[in-house]
Amino acid sequence: MSIGRDEVLRVAKLAELAVAEPEVDRLVEQMNRIVDYVAQLDRVPLGADAPPFLAGPGTVTLREDVVRPVPLARGPAEMAPEFAEGLFLVPRRGGAAMAAEAGSEVPEDDVPMDDPSEEAP
Amino acid sequence: MSGETVAPFTELARETGRRLRGADEAGLNAALHWSQPVLDAEAARAEALAAASAAPLPLAGLAVALKDNIVSVEEPTTCGSRILEGYVSPYDATVVARLRAAGALAAVKANMDEFAMGSSTEHSAYGRVRNPLDPDRVPGGSSGGSAALVAAGVVPAALGSETGGSVRQPASFCGIVGVKPSYGRVSRWGLVAFGSSLDCISPFGRTVEDAARVLAAISGHDPLDSTTVDLPPLQAPAPLADLRGVRIGLPREYLPADLDAGVRAAFERAVGCLRALGAEIVDVSLPHSPLAVPTYYIIAPAEAAANLARFDGVRYGPRRIGPEGDVRSLYRATRGEGFGPEVRRRILVGTYVLSAGYYDAYYKKAQRVRAMIAEDFRRAFERVDLLFTPTTPTTAFRAGEKTEDPVSMYLADIFVSPASLAGLPAMSQPIGRSEGLPVGGQLIAPMYQEARMLAAAGALERVVPATEEAR
Repeated sequence: MSIGRDEVLRVAKLAELAVAEPEVDRLVEQMNRIVDYVAQLDRVPLGADAPPFLAGPGTVTLREDVVRPVPLARGPAEMAPEFAEGLFLVPRRGGAAMAAEAGSEVPEDDVPMDDPSEEAP
Repeated sequence: MSGETVAPFTELARETGRRLRGADEAGLNAALHWSQPVLDAEAARAEALAAASAAPLPLAGLAVALKDNIVSVEEPTTCGSRILEGYVSPYDATVVARLRAAGALAAVKANMDEFAMGSSTEHSAYGRVRNPLDPDRVPGGSSGGSAALVAAGVVPAALGSETGGSVRQPASFCGIVGVKPSYGRVSRWGLVAFGSSLDCISPFGRTVEDAARVLAAISGHDPLDSTTVDLPPLQAPAPLADLRGVRIGLPREYLPADLDAGVRAAFERAVGCLRALGAEIVDVSLPHSPLAVPTYYIIAPAEAAANLARFDGVRYGPRRIGPEGDVRSLYRATRGEGFGPEVRRRILVGTYVLSAGYYDAYYKKAQRVRAMIAEDFRRAFERVDLLFTPTTPTTAFRAGEKTEDPVSMYLADIFVSPASLAGLPAMSQPIGRSEGLPVGGQLIAPMYQEARMLAAAGALERVVPATEEAR
């Protein structure tokens, strides 16, 4: 099976991964090399008698279903790129791009996050 | 470790600091994060614990390096990646808490292939690690920083992580001991996930006993990881005096015609040592083991593609705003710039094999072959107590030798990935040298039979000329 440029770009979009244009040809070559290699499993007759593989112990010991405080050395505000009032701040999923996908107009209140006039949520 | 007079812990911390500085100045590039104040604080805490403890602590004053995918609150955890640059965990991994409870100093974070994806520690965003025995060669990977620190004598023991051989392979390349426990023997709480059905935190030591003692300290059920087995914690076994009555299988698929001649010579000499110890050597077959690498390179990237979805610029590390300025563009730009080439490749392969139309052809098929590989082991262990193989098909290769062809790099793990897929305990120990470079021998045991494996390894260690040329 051969993977082309379009397929690599489709998968990159599914994986939420930006791929720089100069990188695409090399990725096409390497993904084909890897997928051709793993495709040798196609030639393996599957044994009907092999039980399904289960990682881990046969019996799982679950802890008591009780909510307990998590003793964190520092809060999420110190880990996240942006954080306010208990929320992780990100640009809005929406605006022109989402409206274009949906074929509708941009809602009036849907302003881009990088608009300095917008307050934090 | 055992039998040594224990100096005051603060002096051990200072000595560890001196050795780390020496390794840094020598360009080993094996330690990513450490500081003398944190080491000193660890020593003070361990000393207070030892003073308050009625019984001797099993790892008193022992400096244990941590692969940089094991979280601790004092030092950053980057997984060798730019996408986690500067990230400091708000909690400690269970293994870190257990090391400390045993009296160890857990304060050094070791370099690694980015997100544990690699076999040479050349895929770290923070530069390649050098093999202490030959700086032009790789230390193996992905736990190459941990292995190099132990092999260079900087720390007596270290933790790495295995997904498909990432402790046994660098142990072999660096001439030390690396022990992968059964899947579920050690808690994964606080290990940054790569392939969740495969990942195992695993210790390195300079001797079988050192590695066994560290494994014993970190093993046991953890309520925070429901995949840990509810068995009593492992006890480090004494080495067997001899191997009479022990049946050891040599799987013929692990001795291909093109096996490196130096590796073959060291392996055959080690088999002679096992015979001399009284072991019965039995020819066995694991017919599906040669399919382990292609199987692994479907399952592990698929699990990685899902696990690494969390690194998106929202909750951790640096953020890049993409050209469209919205959140999807943020995800793509952050991940595109933050992940290195090997991680991007594996995320793409993992996403591809899981995507509509390909799931049955790749992922589902790989899961069935995985079951066949595990079944081969189960049948073999009906006839033998342990299996013995070379750990790697060659000794440590030169830096840059395999970076252009990902598949040739993947094949460095051809003898270690089968046990990973089957979830079995397995270990590498030095069995000789070939042109000055270490050769490792691998013991594989049935599920949860680490004690049997370690006791036999201790017997072999006593008699095998581990630092001598085999031909």
